[in-house]
Amino acid sequence: MNENAIEKNIRKPKRGFGFYSRIYRKILVQDLKSKMSYRADFVISTFGMIMTNVAGFITFLILFHNFPTINGWDYHHMLFLYGFSLIALTPVQCFFDNNWNLRFMVQSGDFIKYCFRPINVFFYFISEVFDVKGLGQLAFGIGTLVYAWSHIGIPVTALAILKLVVFLLTASLFMIAIMNAAAATCFWIQGSGYVMVIMFRFKDFAKYPASIFSGIFRILFTFVIPIAFVAYYPSLSILEAGDVPMLTWCAPALGVLFFYLSYKFWMLGVRKYDFTGS
Amino acid sequence: MNPKKLLALTRAGIMESLHYRLGTAVTLFANLIYLVLVYFLWKAIYASSGVDVVNGMTFNDTMIYLILATALFNFLEMFVVWDMSRAIQSGKIILDLLKPMSFKRYTFWSYSGSHVVLFTLTFIPTFIVVMIVTHGAIPMGLNLLYFAIATVLALLVNFNMEMLVATVCLYTESTWGINIVKETIVLLLSGASIPLAFFPEAFRKVVEFLPFRAVYDIPLTILLEKNNSDTLSGLLPLFGLQLAWVLILTCASTMFWNHSVKKITVNGG
Repeated sequence: MNENAIEKNIRKPKRGFGFYSRIYRKILVQDLKSKMSYRADFVISTFGMIMTNVAGFITFLILFHNFPTINGWDYHHMLFLYGFSLIALTPVQCFFDNNWNLRFMVQSGDFIKYCFRPINVFFYFISEVFDVKGLGQLAFGIGTLVYAWSHIGIPVTALAILKLVVFLLTASLFMIAIMNAAAATCFWIQGSGYVMVIMFRFKDFAKYPASIFSGIFRILFTFVIPIAFVAYYPSLSILEAGDVPMLTWCAPALGVLFFYLSYKFWMLGVRKYDFTGS
Repeated sequence: MNPKKLLALTRAGIMESLHYRLGTAVTLFANLIYLVLVYFLWKAIYASSGVDVVNGMTFNDTMIYLILATALFNFLEMFVVWDMSRAIQSGKIILDLLKPMSFKRYTFWSYSGSHVVLFTLTFIPTFIVVMIVTHGAIPMGLNLLYFAIATVLALLVNFNMEMLVATVCLYTESTWGINIVKETIVLLLSGASIPLAFFPEAFRKVVEFLPFRAVYDIPLTILLEKNNSDTLSGLLPLFGLQLAWVLILTCASTMFWNHSVKKITVNGG
């Protein structure tokens, strides 16, 4: 960045939502352009994404081939939960995919380039990659959810749709928070790549009712590694509209809190990175 | 081939993976939590089914199978595809190709060190914990020896599959996509996510002849002495299948690699 540009940024102390969304659009266009030049990669990656969803679905079918219900949840309710989790997992896939590159950048020292820009480091780093193939998962999730919804026979009202949108957004915050925190461990621990891999595998359990956990592990998977919030609690707002548990209503506030904490943790790592001067 | 040279590679690998001690410790801990998830899921599944034995598998059998499958997965997992794509991007692959040893052999033995470490640090502790928790539900006898042999064969099958996929990546310049397809297929069809015993009959018949089963299902079947694998007549077909796939995949991956390596283009390497 030349001096002029830096000066221009310094002279402009107010950086609100408009400023960042303008930058995001610019970075996004660049990213999509560079992706377009690897067309084969794009096609194969999209195919791979569809494959993982199909395989997940086959696993699900095999389970229900052997067992008619799981903890009182029948096939269509489970399918609802499954579709819900797929949609809730889309934002982390589409917008926060660059977290996977964090540890390589930190290890090689390339990460320092993000610290030299006069904008929020986290924002700049995350906005650099938009993962298009996540949209395939979104389509798969919507299809599953609509199918399950119509089979359970929940009335389609404006209120139900509004609740669905709000709680889907809420649910997605939890997975984003988990992956942010998992990625940020690389600031402290070398060779921590596996933490991300295993946290990403945890998401496969989000599609089962959290009521299967008991005792201390229920607390662990609700408040420490909040996979119970990725689908179970938010979806109860629609599935059990008459008897919504307290935790479901708390979910939006908790989601914002978890996201904020993960962001703080991530930024703490950045500061630690500066100190090592590597 | 001079075995001393190969063992030197193993030693280097051991030292490298021991270097990241904290990372390994965190990995072990995260794994334990993962196993807790698996435990609760299957406990709920068996509780709702109302019967103790489903398709010849009790809850204990399923748990042992899945826990050890996870442990095997951690120990067998290789990152040949990722490493190779990064080596090509950075041009480092030239150094590996110039080594006075075939690239495949070099890769295999460089990984052997981390296999040794991971086997000692993840598989053996998991095995001991499972034994204590289930009060000796794992039969102790000759099956342990057979299991060791089956695991080595599984390692070879896995390595050659990785090499095949990594070679495909030379052409496509796409790593993530190819790798995720491979991983998904292996995890599903090898029985690592759901024991093969639960698969519908027709589907299982097909899967039983595929190479993926040789990686997780066969070693675990032998260890747990399921499907008559405690008798010679039950054991031999399993070993036969593994051996056949080792041979087929070794030939295929070597030929494919030798053919493709001439085509590598390294930008600015």
